[in-house]
Amino acid sequence: MNATPQTMVQLNGIGKTWPDGTRALNTVDLEVPEGQFCVILGPSGAGKSTLLRAVNGLMQPTEGKVNVDGIELTPGTEKALRKKVAMIHQHFNLATRASVAANVLSGALPDVSLARALCGWFHPEQRAKACHYLERVGLKPDHLRRRAGELSGGQQQRVGIARAFMLDPKVVLADEPVASLDPKISRDILALLRDAARDLNATVICSLHQVDLAREFGDRIVGMRDGEVVFDGTPDEFDEQRLNRLYHNADWGDGEPREDHPEAEAEPARHAAMGGA
Amino acid sequence: MITRPIPVPPKDARLNWHLDQPFRLKHLVIAVLLLVLLVVTGQRTEMDRMLAMTTEAVGNLVGLNDDSQVVRGLGKVADSMWPPTLATSEEAARLGDLDTDNLPWFSRIESTETVRQRLNTDTLELETTTETIEVLYRPMGYVQTVFVKMIETLEIALWGTLLAVSLSIPLAWFAASNYSPNRATYTIARGLISLLRSVPELIVALFLVLAYGFGPIAGVLALGLHAAGFLGKFYAEDIENADKHPQEALEAIGAGKIKTLWYAVMPQVLPQYVAYTAYILDRNLRMATVIGLVGAGGIGQELKGRFDMYDYGHVMTILIAIFLFVFVLDQISARIRARMI
Repeated sequence: MNATPQTMVQLNGIGKTWPDGTRALNTVDLEVPEGQFCVILGPSGAGKSTLLRAVNGLMQPTEGKVNVDGIELTPGTEKALRKKVAMIHQHFNLATRASVAANVLSGALPDVSLARALCGWFHPEQRAKACHYLERVGLKPDHLRRRAGELSGGQQQRVGIARAFMLDPKVVLADEPVASLDPKISRDILALLRDAARDLNATVICSLHQVDLAREFGDRIVGMRDGEVVFDGTPDEFDEQRLNRLYHNADWGDGEPREDHPEAEAEPARHAAMGGA
Repeated sequence: MITRPIPVPPKDARLNWHLDQPFRLKHLVIAVLLLVLLVVTGQRTEMDRMLAMTTEAVGNLVGLNDDSQVVRGLGKVADSMWPPTLATSEEAARLGDLDTDNLPWFSRIESTETVRQRLNTDTLELETTTETIEVLYRPMGYVQTVFVKMIETLEIALWGTLLAVSLSIPLAWFAASNYSPNRATYTIARGLISLLRSVPELIVALFLVLAYGFGPIAGVLALGLHAAGFLGKFYAEDIENADKHPQEALEAIGAGKIKTLWYAVMPQVLPQYVAYTAYILDRNLRMATVIGLVGAGGIGQELKGRFDMYDYGHVMTILIAIFLFVFVLDQISARIRARMI
């Protein structure tokens, strides 16, 4: 790592209002330096996914600017920017009926000519890289030809990680990558993600619901609520009181624990109504 | 540890909720209207007479009444159609290249004597002449002809399906709202699909016979164009309904639309595509026998010719052949499907 890591992802005043008038993001500023594992925490509907999808332009913010590795996100630069930004998804997003090999190779599609892509004729280096990453994430050679949908959830997410690293990304966005996996596999998957990113000195922005995993893997924790960043600090600074406030109290700064706060029961419903993320 | 009792609603609690019965007066009115509609349309399509005649026919068959129009009509047809014609006999003199020492398999030369009376123009008397005609008799000759025609029908169906698939793949791409390049291409493709699908094969074939003449070209084109409309619609709708998740994954890394279609949509929809194509092949096989009726090649053309010449024995042979072919192909396609799934 560099002595003074440069800024890799820069979000300036990102705001998003859905067509129905819901405010999903409210002028969020975020700077993530190169090589950092940045975890985003927050209740459902806080805008975590929306924020991640703003980085690669899957979601068009209504205001603000996105800058990744010196490239500002505009319709013209979108393709160049997306090649630097890989994404790992909550539902793995594999083509379940295609083979594992085809799924991993599809991560290299932007670097392949259309004719080659249609024939499935990937470059030998890309094939080698696909095998390398599949081995790295702990799959076996006989998995290559199996259908992705036949694998278990944990194995599917491993394939997803291998696919994400096919283009040597500078930034990896992980949208609740372990939401449907058991605690042990979740830890293994996040360790894989962290180690693979470290080798490339890639920045990871990862939204999570598991606070223990966030503390374990994150270099930094960003807490979001109602479309705003309400906490930004190291895992050590994110103590029990702040955790309670992030998830249970509407008013940030009012530090009463949940059991003494009967109105908190109604809170989840209000946040579900925020919707959208 | 905190344990709280699960709250139970008090006995006199009244909720401001409504759970209605599934049917209301509105539904009863709709049912009555539908019944009236059924009675009116049934009258117009003579459903009552159909019932009466069928009952009469059944009564006649079990011996309850003496006469039935339906049974008489069917009996006449059956009489003239049985037995099916299997053999052919052709005048040997007309077969120029017939080598009498080396006849085709299972055939023999037979001589028939025909007595003709002719008016002698000189004597103005009727003269009786006896002519001996040699005919080449082939006991399975007509079965062979029908078999060849059935193979031609099969070929028409196969090429019609091939044409339909190759036309409908680009059509489907333009007609899928999430992959069509723009609104105009989408509208044009959808319009074309509706147009192709709305005209029945038989009518398309009628016009194509005028354009391309009698024969299989018109048949292949008619089947291909109609099925292209059908397949285009279903392929396109499958693309639209395909699982969005893998597509999003490829969109996120900036793979183009065509690559996304190939790697994230095609693997997911392929089984459905195979099923649609198999159905179209099955349908084309049955339709190929029918469109021959308007001169578009295959067994239908033979059937129409024989029917118009009142050769009902030949018609029977053809009908049996069609039944056997469709049955055998059904069995084969069922086996293939069972193996693929």
